[in-house]
Amino acid sequence: MSDNMKRRDFLKGATTGVGLGMLGAMGIYSYSPLRKQHFPEVARKMTDIGVCKSVNVTNISETSWFENATLMGDIKGAGGLLVNQYDYNWPPFGNGKGLGKGSYDDGMAKIKHLLPDKIDEAWQVCVENCVHPENAGGYAALIDVEEMSGKHRKFLLDSGWGYAWTDECFKREGIDKMLANREIEALFFSHEHFDHFWGLPVTLKYDPTITIYIPEGFYPEGLQYIKDSGHKGKVVTVPKGLNPHIPGMATYVFGIPIICRVYGEQSMYFNVKDKGLVSVTGCCHQGIIRFAETAYNEIKYENDNFYGIYGGLHISPFDDWDPKYDDLVISLKNYGFEQIGCNHCTGVLCAKKFVAAGYNVIEGTAQHRSKDKVYLGNGDKISFG
Amino acid sequence: MERYGAGFLEERKLEKRWSGPVPALVSIAVLFAVFYATWWIFQDPRGYMRMYTPYVGYMYCRWWLIMMIWMVYIFNYWPFKRSWLENANPLYKGAVLTLASVAILLVLIKGFFEGFLGNFGLAYFNPEQLEKLPGITSFFAIEYASLAILMFAAIASWLSPAWVVAFEEAPWQKLKQPAKGFSILMITFFLSTLVYFVTMHPHMGILYDPWQYFTSIAPPYWEQFADTVSGNFHVGWIMCCTVVVWLVETIWERYPFNLIKNDWGRRFACFFGIILIALAMHFFFYFAQELTFGEAIRGTRRGFAPDWRWLHVGEMAIFLLVPALFLNFYFGNWPRKFSMPVNVMVRTLITIVAAVLLYIVYYRTSHLFLGTQKGISHPQQFPMIPMIWLVNLMLVQHWFMDNWPGWKLVAKTEEEIAADHASHQAQIEEIKPTPQFGIGLGAGAVMGVAFFFITVWALPLFYASIDLIK
Repeated sequence: MSDNMKRRDFLKGATTGVGLGMLGAMGIYSYSPLRKQHFPEVARKMTDIGVCKSVNVTNISETSWFENATLMGDIKGAGGLLVNQYDYNWPPFGNGKGLGKGSYDDGMAKIKHLLPDKIDEAWQVCVENCVHPENAGGYAALIDVEEMSGKHRKFLLDSGWGYAWTDECFKREGIDKMLANREIEALFFSHEHFDHFWGLPVTLKYDPTITIYIPEGFYPEGLQYIKDSGHKGKVVTVPKGLNPHIPGMATYVFGIPIICRVYGEQSMYFNVKDKGLVSVTGCCHQGIIRFAETAYNEIKYENDNFYGIYGGLHISPFDDWDPKYDDLVISLKNYGFEQIGCNHCTGVLCAKKFVAAGYNVIEGTAQHRSKDKVYLGNGDKISFG
Repeated sequence: MERYGAGFLEERKLEKRWSGPVPALVSIAVLFAVFYATWWIFQDPRGYMRMYTPYVGYMYCRWWLIMMIWMVYIFNYWPFKRSWLENANPLYKGAVLTLASVAILLVLIKGFFEGFLGNFGLAYFNPEQLEKLPGITSFFAIEYASLAILMFAAIASWLSPAWVVAFEEAPWQKLKQPAKGFSILMITFFLSTLVYFVTMHPHMGILYDPWQYFTSIAPPYWEQFADTVSGNFHVGWIMCCTVVVWLVETIWERYPFNLIKNDWGRRFACFFGIILIALAMHFFFYFAQELTFGEAIRGTRRGFAPDWRWLHVGEMAIFLLVPALFLNFYFGNWPRKFSMPVNVMVRTLITIVAAVLLYIVYYRTSHLFLGTQKGISHPQQFPMIPMIWLVNLMLVQHWFMDNWPGWKLVAKTEEEIAADHASHQAQIEEIKPTPQFGIGLGAGAVMGVAFFFITVWALPLFYASIDLIK
């Protein structure tokens, strides 16, 4: 055998061997416990966001829509969960052309001149031009933070959807007067979704100068809507990551894509003296466990304890289910939340599974169109601290 | 005896219409134009039919792929005759065969799954049956049924071609069509059903509240090992199987299994070798995500959830399939001038590099033109849909239209066919178990292990150096 032949044979063997060696190592090592030595130790940042004395949350509205079948029928008819929310022809962006054929510009052209002062008239226009306006509820919560000095500071988390419903809820809880009296110092939007954001003119009717905090990732229509709604105050685009706000309160923006063409979610952390961390969310599209893990990695909080949660946990918002949600139900015990004040997109089914799993889910009163006592309903309040 | 399309793909000669890279560029340009037009019509959330709901579009996409595999690989184009395949205008032929595949697709989904299985066996295959359950909306009834049907498709897209590629159609290789096709269809469908019941059915059994203890094993048996109760654990390795089948068939030319002389030894080695390679990919791609994205956390959602990570394993695998088929379909399985192992190695490296680039480009740009959103782990977005849609159209162009417009079909002479076989056989024959081959094999294996650990070391650094989602 010539040297050339030997070399060629060696090369054939070597190339084959490389593939076998690589695949063998991939198969044997990749999912073995040994792989964990390659994971870096992540040091906790322990960022000090200060402490507050207590946090009190008033559920202004958790019923984003009243009939799940109606909403899902619209989503189905318009083309599914990835369709741009401004195209559904839902209120307030209706052009009368029917489901899935709406646009921001068409809808806004019909109501812009009425915003924010004449929201009743604007809503009448919406009723005439939009798909299923009767189904538009909304999500909004009043956050009352008691500082260590005893001073109370109020913030609004989200501003509902349907103008008529949101206004009704604001009046029921006295939010209209608080806004008019400038008692509420800022409006935080959790994300751009219709049921959290499109009721903005109702807030602006009572306080057009309120400072608005939006998470990074709003689409051009959303940014334009803030202007077209008649906002005259400051708009702060909150970047991804941790953003301390006042002692004991911070928001965290997660850069995540969300259904109906929305991007980014802002959630809140509160460090309650002697109690621990309280997490407040709009929809928590990032997932409650990632929300908790992020807090663990980023923030220093009292007693290193996850004290409570409030808000939508985005598990089965449409009463759908998936085995991966069971992973959450099974795993949530590892985090030891003392109080779970969930509602909205958590889903009634999920809340019932939480209860069955032994978690301390705070019951509600099922009033003002909330459907089940298993979780906190409209008008219900929860205190942490 | 009418041969229909048996051996048609191997025995046809695709002759370039123009010299140089022009045919490939023209055909690829046409491919992408058709991809985008059809994407807009059928899938795009901004488009006409908006089937990307996501599961409805996903289901049709996956099963259409299998329809073409059935038609070409299992039934050898039966009942279309060889003379028609060789002489029909490629546009006309493409239209007829495509319509035939879509017709079978509709019969299968509407007739077999939804109509037959969904009404007489398993309710979750039929949206109308699901809607009878309290609290299930029409939308999710359709989505759940589509999910179940497409999970079946994932298995069939592995096993259907595997019987041809690995088992070489045995023991029915000498039967005439359609007897051969129906025999292979029956065995692969039977095996798909078995695999479905032990991998996907338990997932469907806990899709409802309460868990369906009487009809499926709950929680599923893989829970502790996979760190999730989701069937995505199986989707990952099954997708890897699908991809590996095509790697073996195209850029690997069935190497190294074709070195085994014993027929049944070779067949079993290839069939189970595909599974072992797929499992290696399955675990490695999961590990790669741990090295880059961070450790998974059970119970969370999206990018850190184990169920999404396993799904993403399959998605990563599909990024390998696209360049491998491109290399095979449009670049003549380049290179061919070296020995088979070296050719295979070079093609594999090209495919890996192209797949990594495609992955980066996809996540950086796809939201700009597919009507989707930026981000890796959107719970309703699956890169498998556009990738498989593209693969489907590549198959239409390559299998049904002879790579039109860049190439034209010319029948090979008997001598050319014999020369091809002899050349291929000679390439296999020249690989002999000499001492030098053995030494090379051992040295290569050591190098392969070293490359693995170098990759493990480099992956986090590489990922940190790119901004996948701007």
